[in-house]
Parts: sequence; structure tokens; C-alpha cells
Amino acid sequence: MDSDGVQELITGWSNGKVDVRNARSGEIMYKDNFVASVAGIVEGDYRMDGKLQLICCSMDGEVRGYLPRGSEPCDNLIDGQAELENLRELSQQRQNLLLELKNYEENAKVMDSSETMRSCRSPGIPANTHLESVLAVNPGSETQPPHVQLSVSTSNDTMIRAVLIFAEGIFDGESYVVHPDIGNLSSRVTIALRPPKNVPVDLHVKALVGYQSSTQLHVFELTRQLPRFCMYTMCDPDIAIVPKSHVILSISERVQRVAIWLNQNFLLPQEFVCDSSFLNVCFVCLRGSGSLSISIKQNAEALISTDDMDLAGDVIQSLATFLSISDMPVEAYFPAYVEQLCLALHKNMKQRYTELQNLNRDLLNSHNIRCANHMELLSDLKIINKIIQKAGRLRVGKYKTRVVSACRDAIKMGNTSGLMKIIEIGGASVQPTRPMPPSGLAP
Amino acid sequence: MDVTLNRIDYLQIGVTSQKCMRLMPAMGRKATQKIAIADQNGILTCFGIRKGESVPVFKTLPGPGINRLDLSGVPGTTQEKIFIASASEVRGYTKKGKQFLSFETNLAESITAMHVSGSDLFLCSNYVFNHYTDCVDQNYFLAPDKINDVICVSTPISTSILACQDCNLHVLQNSTALHTVTVPGPPSVLTLFQGGNEEEVLYGTSNGKLGLVKVTSETGNCIWETTTEKRRGGILCLDCFDILSDGVKEILVGRDDGSLEMYAFDSAGKPMMKYEHVLAESVTSIQGGCVGKPGYNEIVASSYAGWVLGMTTEPLLKEAGPGDELHINKETETKLIKLRTELDELQAKVLQERERYQQSSISDATLSSIPPFSIRDKFVLSSEDATYILGIEVQTAIDHVLLQSDIPIDIDDVDKNSAVVSHSVCDNENSNFLLATYRCQANTTRLELKVRSIEGQFGILQAYITARLQPRTCQVRQYFIKPLSLHQRICSIDQSRPMNMVSLTGRFSLAEIHSWVVSCLPELPERAPLGSDISYCFRNTFLDTHLQCNYRNGEGVFKSDNISTISILKDVLTKEATKKNISLNVSCDISEDSVEHTLQLIKPRLEEQLHLRQKVTLIETLKELEEQEGGPECLSHEFRALLEDAEQLQQKQKKQHNYVERFYGTIADLFIDKFKFKGTNVKSRVPQLLDILNNYDFDTLVNFFNLP
Repeated sequence: MDSDGVQELITGWSNGKVDVRNARSGEIMYKDNFVASVAGIVEGDYRMDGKLQLICCSMDGEVRGYLPRGSEPCDNLIDGQAELENLRELSQQRQNLLLELKNYEENAKVMDSSETMRSCRSPGIPANTHLESVLAVNPGSETQPPHVQLSVSTSNDTMIRAVLIFAEGIFDGESYVVHPDIGNLSSRVTIALRPPKNVPVDLHVKALVGYQSSTQLHVFELTRQLPRFCMYTMCDPDIAIVPKSHVILSISERVQRVAIWLNQNFLLPQEFVCDSSFLNVCFVCLRGSGSLSISIKQNAEALISTDDMDLAGDVIQSLATFLSISDMPVEAYFPAYVEQLCLALHKNMKQRYTELQNLNRDLLNSHNIRCANHMELLSDLKIINKIIQKAGRLRVGKYKTRVVSACRDAIKMGNTSGLMKIIEIGGASVQPTRPMPPSGLAP
Repeated sequence: MDVTLNRIDYLQIGVTSQKCMRLMPAMGRKATQKIAIADQNGILTCFGIRKGESVPVFKTLPGPGINRLDLSGVPGTTQEKIFIASASEVRGYTKKGKQFLSFETNLAESITAMHVSGSDLFLCSNYVFNHYTDCVDQNYFLAPDKINDVICVSTPISTSILACQDCNLHVLQNSTALHTVTVPGPPSVLTLFQGGNEEEVLYGTSNGKLGLVKVTSETGNCIWETTTEKRRGGILCLDCFDILSDGVKEILVGRDDGSLEMYAFDSAGKPMMKYEHVLAESVTSIQGGCVGKPGYNEIVASSYAGWVLGMTTEPLLKEAGPGDELHINKETETKLIKLRTELDELQAKVLQERERYQQSSISDATLSSIPPFSIRDKFVLSSEDATYILGIEVQTAIDHVLLQSDIPIDIDDVDKNSAVVSHSVCDNENSNFLLATYRCQANTTRLELKVRSIEGQFGILQAYITARLQPRTCQVRQYFIKPLSLHQRICSIDQSRPMNMVSLTGRFSLAEIHSWVVSCLPELPERAPLGSDISYCFRNTFLDTHLQCNYRNGEGVFKSDNISTISILKDVLTKEATKKNISLNVSCDISEDSVEHTLQLIKPRLEEQLHLRQKVTLIETLKELEEQEGGPECLSHEFRALLEDAEQLQQKQKKQHNYVERFYGTIADLFIDKFKFKGTNVKSRVPQLLDILNNYDFDTLVNFFNLP
């Protein structure tokens, strides 16, 4: 947008905002507001004048175009402005650093006198306060469906006033907030998470820590990653219901490598150790969609059993990436899907296809009729025009134009007998016999 | 005439409060002026500008934050003595930086406003006004509400004017109040108009209005006031200066939304905006003068985060040769290099300190205590659309803000914001009805939101503000949403309306009932004003119904034409009294006509909204018709006009999209409250009422209300 040869990142938001940012620093260079959500952003030469434009369209149909900032005029001025802007920014940075420095200084001052200040009401918290976080699978209870539980706790008597989690794709918005009532604050907060998809998610956790009456709180920030298959909990292979479907593949890697993959991608109560040359684990889905079992035999043959084809796909893709396998043939056996496919193919699809074909034929027929009618209409119009032209050529000067316009009027009014008369005697004004709606001649 | 002014940044200091910068008088005819500015770190800086570089004259040591700065001197000579107020102390400095005065006043609270004239000090702290001559106490006045600013119009008779939060200018002579002048909002700043014409005073209000009043010892007349065409930020500072050199002084205005404006006068003497520039931070002080280059006037302003900047009439690129441009660039270049090296040094130092801070966290005997960062916030009712405006400004960039409320409220985004909003699911068991995060973009220091409350639902809105600063800390701000949150103070009520009344008698003191009323209604002073009978009038900004409160020792009478208002008041007051174990005798006098009267008040606006809604739904269809027929000719006049205004209508609808629901809610409340006073519970009939509202007809509605 600023014609500097580097592309900018342009974002359109659901609240109608459009931002143009420097792709490296993220700084906003230009912004605009639409009334409705932004539906699309494209680049194109819409006005055909050789200049590329940024074109944004909103949900209610408003389209706006933006020309990039020209680089030629007032080059110097912009340069000067940019430098001033730069100066301002650096100065702000300096101010921030000074503030931070002041924070440490003040902190040190308090620390020196901390022995005497401990009893006083000061906004501080013990310097050795840590924030601990534990991710675990909670199989759920009667009141709560099963979920992944993130518990955040401080290392001493300080309270957690609120926890904010910023993460993509697992909440309605981009964040989730837990704010306990001021009356039952504690140093421990648990949060129930239910990621809808099997993707790894980074949780940016911000905990506001202080005491009940503090107006200033310390912000502890930490990032935890939710493993890809966190919604699957391990269970005993003997009691699990064995799924009907499975895939068979061969993994030539050592089983220990697969164990590492298991540890990284599942939330396990303790680290999974595999000391034999074969492996057999079983998981139950917290979303309530059956179980998953993975077993690898000594002859490197692996069996992944699940009724969910999507899940099998996720597991294979993740495993292949982890073990850096570039090509892998797989035998798949999914009776339920096969049945569905058959049903779709043989019964439903055939029937729908026939119906669709019939409908198409009807449409085509009616279109042909329309076309023919339209052509006929056009040729009729041509004849009428020709006759009017000829009738006009019979007269000279203003009589000629009068005839033509009178004829047109008569046609508009649908006055056929009047038309004959005009052609016969010239442009005498003929009163319309009855008003007719204007003829819509569009095909 | 178009005015172009160019921005020049001079210096950045600490956070400044309102009216903390002044220009020193010029020494010679062609000399530039020096700037005296004080910040919240307690540093008073005086500097001049030479060749675009700031050259310090003197700088004091840090101390407690400085709240005001003023210039004065012996009458008749140049006013070049600097006075600063910090906490309850006033200090004086000469222009060279020598301290000649340190005066510890007997004020209990810190000084919030100051005016110095000769050897007279006019000081205000919250509710108290004090006048000292040569540091000897002269006059004293207790104002009925918070004092925002003070000035003195003519020294010999010493008539002082106090700008009070209660929308009045109190005119005082010595210790006695002469009279008051009512202005259209809480005045936040006063200045003498034209700098000399003694009796005309220019005021700015915190709801963005600007006006001029003529004040004499007998009366005060409004000469003009601006009509707000669009909502503007609250005024923080004012000055009069002839920037354009046309012989007439212009008015310079600085606002808390960062706009910096210049008003000139048209031939009829009415002010007209000539120039506007928007800064990222609120403007705390403003003055016209000549600082950067001799011969070029400029507007000098200081911002909340401590920037001192000039908007100069000097062209940035003059008709000078190309060599000159290079020169300017070189200047900034050297500045940049200097700053960069300074930054590097600081960075190293900060790293070292950060290390030490980390080290300290290992031992367990120490406390980690970070000084709070400075926040400017406001939570004010805007009467135009009956919503609260929540404004938050931090001295450094905001990282994110978490809003939490224990009552149901709606939050509207303001277009200017670029923050990413996310509403979180609320668990009502923890009494959360609103949890929303605002993640701010880089370099955002201000956030403004609109909060819509429902009368009768009261609680606390909390904002957890986290700054982008290491070590990360967060500050909690609480805003009380009172039961009658949408009421605004007015001077008098319309007595001809049918009134409902509730009167309370019991063994309570004036202070007690005042505190109960304060807990119900906004815009009231915390402590009871003087006098034995107190009377306040209010207007509901949403429905335009009125409320009058009269109370004294042992008795309170509340009158309103809105039955819901009376119902809410009665509930809250009795609850408060029960809390204190005071038994009340409550008697109500309900006017049957008042309900229909309130409905009549709602009627035109509700109908307008319904019409609007209807029109907007038609637009789509009409547009399609227009396209089909190839032009608007086929449509009737009415529809054609509708199509022409389509965009405008849609905008309006967007802005007021929930007005209809809001009206329905109040009508339902009205219905329930009406029958509550009769002793019947009609909750079961509310769905029936909503049915009637959905097929809106005024007469049916009134009839439904009049059913037994």
C-alpha cells in the first residue's frame, strides 16, 4: 500500500474494521471502518487504469477501493514526516525503558525496607511467588461432562483474581476468562477446556495475582501447549470396547520412538514408557465418540483401530510427520463407511442423479422456448422499425420526425389502429384508445 | 481561510496533569519564549528551543507529583515567577530556577486547583476553597461539590469563580457566595476571555461544551455556548491567543480525546472551528506563543504522557533552496543517532536490573512491589444516547483490558478503537454477567467504550488494565453503576406533570439519608451539602421523565412522573435503611395518570424507531424492484425518497438497533411496577404485554395498562 516494494498485511474483521499493517512490525499504517462485517479483500485493477487497487467488500454489499499511496509527489515531506515519526517512537521507547527502570528502583527501595514493611498494607506480593500450571484429563462427573482441565495455582498465599486465556480456535472468541467471585478467591483456579478439533493449540495464560483488597495485581504470563489428541484419555486395553474398523500399516521405526510421539501428542497421567518391542495402548474419546487403540507388533505391523475415519487420518498424518515418513501405504478397513458409501452410491445417488437430470432437461427445454420466443419478438420489432422508417421516408422535414415520434408513441400506448392511421396520413395526433402498461421487452 | 500548522515535538517528560505548562513571557520583542512544565514525577522543567533543540534552563529534583502550575509576579511587571502546587504545598521559583517560596498550607487534602495573582494565592482542594495573601489565610469557602478549577477576575475586589462539578460556576467575594451561573455540563476548566477583558470568562465542560459567560458581582449572563453537532471529548485546557495574527484572539482548546482545536470568530461574533488536529493522547495544557522560531506563532501543548509539542505556523518546507531541506534532515538525523545511543545504554542498564530482579525472586524474604502506573479514566453518562462512556488512558501502551461486571450490561465498541474484542462465556454462579477482553494493538494508549445499563440493576463494573511494561502489572478500577444510573442532574422539574410520590419518615439524620440517595443516583457530592433542607432535580436521559428529591432530618419526599423510578427508589432506600437498622414509615401516593403520561412520552420515540425499522426492512426489497425495473421511476414518491435516504437510514438503524428492545423493557417494567403498587403480581401477564407490543398499537397498549 505504501509503494515501498514490500507487501503489507491487510486484515478485515467481523466488526467491519480494515487494517493495513507493516508485515514485519505489525504496526498499523492505515485503517478504515465498514458498517458491516468485511466479506472479502482482493487486489485488482478494477478501474482499468493500470493502477492496482485494494478492494474491500462488506457483508451488506458495500465495496470500497483504495489506491496505494503515491510514491512520487512530496517525497521529501513524507521522508521528513517518517523521520519525525521515528523520533517520536524512539522517544516513547526511551520513556518505557525509563519507566521499567523506575519500577526496579522503586522495587529495590521497598525491598531494602521490606523487613519492616511486611506487616503494612503494600501492593507487593512475595518475590518468590511462582505460578504453576497443570494440564490433565478430567473424565468428568455427573454435573460436568468430561474435559481437559487446566489448573493454575500460585506457590504461596497469594490469590488469583482472574485468569485470561488467549488461544485460537477453541473458544467462541479469541479469549476465555475465569473470574472467581471476590468472596471465594483462592490461590488455585481450574479451567475446563474442550477443544473441538484434533489440533495442537497454544494457550497464552495470563493470571492476575494479588490479594483480596489489592488494586494493583501482578500479571503472570505463561504459554502451555495443548497436545493434538488431548481429548483422548488412556484406558485399560482389556476393558475397552474394540472398534470394528481399523487401518493396518507398517512402521519400521523403533517402538520407543512411537512412545515418544504418544507422550508428546496425548495428555498422559504419567510418562509412557515402552521397554518391549511391541506396544498396545487404548484411549477413550472425551467427546464421546468411541475409543481408539494403537498396537504395534514385533513384526513392525501397526494396527490403529477406531470407528472414526477422520481420527485415523489425524493420527496417521501426525505420526508420519513425527517419524518423518514421506511415503506410506496403508490398508484401511472401515465397514461402516463402506456401507454408507454403498448406500449413497447405489440408492440415493442414482435416484438424485436421475431427478437432477430430469430437472435439467426441463430447464433446458423452457430455456429453448424462451430463446425462440425472444428471437421471434426481435424479428417482429425489426419489421415494425423498418416500416416506421419507411413511413418516415415518405415525408420530408419536420413531418418526417413527427411521423416517427408519433409512431413510437402509438406503439408505446399499444394503439394499433392509430399506428395504421399515422402511417397512412402522417403525424396527426391520435388519441390513445386505452392506456397499456409499458412493454417490457427483456428476454 | 485554511490554516495549516505543522507539528514539532520538543521534549518528553513524565505524566502531566491538567494545567501544568505555561510559556514564560518573552524577554525582548523578537525573542522566543521559554516553556515551564511540571510533571507527576515532581520535576519542574524550564527550557527553551534553539535551532530545534531543547535547551534546558533549569530542572528541579524529583518529588511528589505536581498538580498545577501558574505564573505570577508583582502587578505591573512581567509575570515570570513560577508557582507549583504539589500535595498541600506551594513552591515558588524565579525564572532562573531559584526557589524563593515554600509554603506548606493548612489544607488537609492535596491541592487540585490553583490561581496566583500578585501575592494572592487561590487554592482549592476537592470541596474547599482557600485564599491566602502573602501566605496568610484570608478567605475560606466550602463548595457544595468538587471544585475543578478556580480563577480570579479582578484582584482589588477579589471576585473568585469556582468551577464546580455540580454544573455551576460559583461566584465568590471574599468568603461569601454572591451567586451561581449554571452551565450546560460539569465545568472542568476556566480562563479569562481575551486575556484581559475582566468580566468575561471562558469555560469548558467535561462533556465537551465550550461557552463564554459575563460575570459581574450581581449576575452572570451566558454570551454564547457551542452547540455540539457531534460528540466531542471533555475539555481539559483552554487559552486565547492570536495565532493567525489578524488582530483577534482565537480560542485554543485541548480535549481528553486528544483533539486540539482552534476557534476563530465570524462576523457575528460566534466562534467557528478553524483548525483541528488529533493527537494520540489527551491534551493536558495548551497555550499560544512563540517558542520554536522568532516570528512564527504556534500552539504549544502538553499531552498526558508528557510530550511537549508545538503546532507551528512555520512551514515545514519553505521556498528555500534544496540545501535547507538537507539541513533539516541532518538535524533530525543527529537527533536520531543521539537517541539511539541513549536507548542502547538504557537497554543495557535495564537488562542488568531485570537480572537483579530475577535474582531477588529466589530469596523468600523479599517483597516484589512495583509502583503503579498512571491511569486517566472516566466513566460519565452521555445524555445524547443515554449510555455511559468509559474512557481509559494509560501513560504507556495498553496490553489488554479485562472488563467484568456483576450485572447485565451491554458494551458497544467505538469506531475509533482498534482493539480486538472477545466476549467470554459467563458463569453466573460466580456473579459474572459480563466478561470481555480487549486486546490492544501496539502503541495504543487510549480505549473508549460505551456501556449501556438498565435502570434498577445496580452493581460494579471492574476494569483490569494491564500495561505493556515489564514487570507486568495490572490495575483494577471499579465503576459503580447505580440503581437510577441513567439520571442526570437538572435545575428544576416540570411541575405540571402528573407525579407519583413516595415519602419516608423515620429516625435518620440528614447525612444518612443523603448517603442513601447518593447510593441511588449519580452526579451527587459524597458529603451532604450545608443547609437543613436539600433538594435535587433529575432527568432520565433515556425516557425524559423527571425526578425531584427533597429531604432533611427525619424526612424525605421523592416525586417523579415515572412510576418505575419511584419503585426503584423505594426499594433501594428501604433496603439501605434496613441495613442500618432504622425503621421507616413509607407512604406512597400513586397517580393513575402518570403511567399514561410516561407512555405518551415514550410514544413518539418508539413510533419513530418502529417506523425506522419498517423502512429499513423495505430498503432491500425496493432496491431489488429498482434493479428489475431499471430505475426508480416505477416507484411512488414516498419509496423513492426512502431509497435516496437508504444509507442514512441504515446507519441510524445500526446506531440505535436495540432502542426498540430497550423501550419494550422499560414498558414492561412500567407495567410490573404499576401493579406492584396495587399489590398484584402481574409477571404472568408480561408475555401478553409483549404480544401487544409486537403488534404495536398505542390505544390497545393503554387499554391493557388500564385493565384491572
